[in-house]
Amino acid sequence: YPLFQRGGPQLRIFRPNFFMLAVRPGVPQPEDTVQFRVSMEMTKVDIRNYLERIYNVPVAAVRTRIQYGANNKRNHRNQRVKKPDYKVAYVQLGQGQTFQFPNLFPEKEQDSETRSFDDFRDKYMEKEKQKQEGDPRRGGVPDWFGL
Amino acid sequence: MAALGARRLLRPGQRWFSETVPGVPSPPASPLYPPLAASITAKSKAAKSRRLQRFNQRVHAAATVEEKLRLYGKLQRPKYMVYPQTFALNADRWYRSFTKTVLVPGMPPRAAAAKSPVAATGTTPEAGRAPEPGAQALGAAEVPQAAKTLEPAAGAAPYLDMGELRSLACDALLQESFYQNKKRPFLYRDQDHTPGPFLTQLVSTLAAFLSSRNPLLAASSLDLNPEVNYYWHHGEEVVVHGHRKGRVDPVRFQIDDNPHLQIRVPKQLPEVVPLESDLGDVPVIDHKPSKLPLFKKQYENKVFIGSKVADPCCYGHTQFHLLPDKLKRERFIRERLEDQIEVVYRSNGIASLFAWTAAQAMYQGFWSEADVTRPFVSQAVVTDGKYFAFFCYQLNTLALTAETIKNNPRKNICWGTDSKPLYDVVEDGSVKGFNDEVLLQLVRFLLNRPKEL
Repeated sequence: YPLFQRGGPQLRIFRPNFFMLAVRPGVPQPEDTVQFRVSMEMTKVDIRNYLERIYNVPVAAVRTRIQYGANNKRNHRNQRVKKPDYKVAYVQLGQGQTFQFPNLFPEKEQDSETRSFDDFRDKYMEKEKQKQEGDPRRGGVPDWFGL
Repeated sequence: MAALGARRLLRPGQRWFSETVPGVPSPPASPLYPPLAASITAKSKAAKSRRLQRFNQRVHAAATVEEKLRLYGKLQRPKYMVYPQTFALNADRWYRSFTKTVLVPGMPPRAAAAKSPVAATGTTPEAGRAPEPGAQALGAAEVPQAAKTLEPAAGAAPYLDMGELRSLACDALLQESFYQNKKRPFLYRDQDHTPGPFLTQLVSTLAAFLSSRNPLLAASSLDLNPEVNYYWHHGEEVVVHGHRKGRVDPVRFQIDDNPHLQIRVPKQLPEVVPLESDLGDVPVIDHKPSKLPLFKKQYENKVFIGSKVADPCCYGHTQFHLLPDKLKRERFIRERLEDQIEVVYRSNGIASLFAWTAAQAMYQGFWSEADVTRPFVSQAVVTDGKYFAFFCYQLNTLALTAETIKNNPRKNICWGTDSKPLYDVVEDGSVKGFNDEVLLQLVRFLLNRPKEL
């Protein structure tokens, strides 16, 4: 392939592995900040272009850091097992937009059938446990000896 | 049993051989044991508060201000470095929450008696300024007298010649940008090339011109590229990792600022509003300061106004700040962050002025446990060479630590304007679109003086 110079024909297509994964922040972030795990090869400029051109999200500022994955765990052969490294990007949205990571597992309202079933099941388990235990007056001492 | 019997026999008024008589009050002898106090070295909250109280007493009892400053900043721990000139988004809101400052748009209403009347171009700016009830009454009386003239009127009241001032400003601008033959500026050094020398020249000539009208300026000291530092505590946090993990620590901040120019005076500027006034709300931000982003470092805890404590010019008058190349308007417009342009000016004004006024207060012996008894007022002009923004700051309280802020209703106040251009363009040896309002406000700033003078 001839050497590429600016303005010349683009004869090769690069398909880098650029991905972005929105995650729930471990520590509370300001309202306009979104936290992503991105591919290690992405730069701040790449992240900004990715969000602005593909998703039309106005980006005011991007800060990145690389999280080192620990290498302390050992497998059954006593070899060290490394957790993979990943890059974290903190993106501040423009035009006053805010973002709150949604609750992905909300508690569903239980209807009366499931509630009564749950109650019945709990009561049955309690009765079984009571039969297993011995006389409460013995204070937990086993009953296979004594009078 | 014998003791019971003995007690039954004892009647009031009768003396026993060794005990005190019940009817008579016990003599005020010195107590046998010292008063109960918490330990000093234990790992408990009571011991920690006792150590803090001993430290506070030590600082209170310090003989000189230098000794107080030395003890105040003796313990070094990692602290947040607050930069007045920052590109962080919405930094002025965060800085207001760190310094407990209320931002009031526009300039403060000036007392009419302290102002000297200015020639006629002053009428429209005076009417257009943020509310000046006293000045309007004075302005209406002066308008018939202040004719549209370039010659100063001979009389008891000194009139300011706008033409003269305008020609001074244009001369400085043209000298730096047109007449003087300069090479191309080095990469990212545009501000040091033209606006920097222009600002220095403008301020020094204006100060020299106005010193006849303002005796305070005649006794002032103009610093070139001085250093202003301040160190303070605000709020509390839990130490996250390290050998001190889990302990509750105050959040420490340090401002290290280098204004382009600074005028220090021997007498303090008068207060703008009374000490306990409440002109707005302080923003409350629940997040840690590191989310701004703000970073921690451990180094010397310095409190400095630009000169040492023994200098007679220990009060501040005006600071002049030049914005660096990194924060120029074109960059913000290119990145579609137009609302952050004003944020840059405001954060610079608030942070720099808070540091300067608080350091001045510490030079007078006040600190967070001994709060200020009179407000400290200073002014600042933030510019990038063409656009000027004016700020006036009144420090009402230094008590920002976690214990002292609880019952402290006072807030610091900052008045600030938006940035306005001084001129439109300089071409062919002349300045096009000169804005007199900006120059007038600058002159008003320089003429500000205490009421006695």
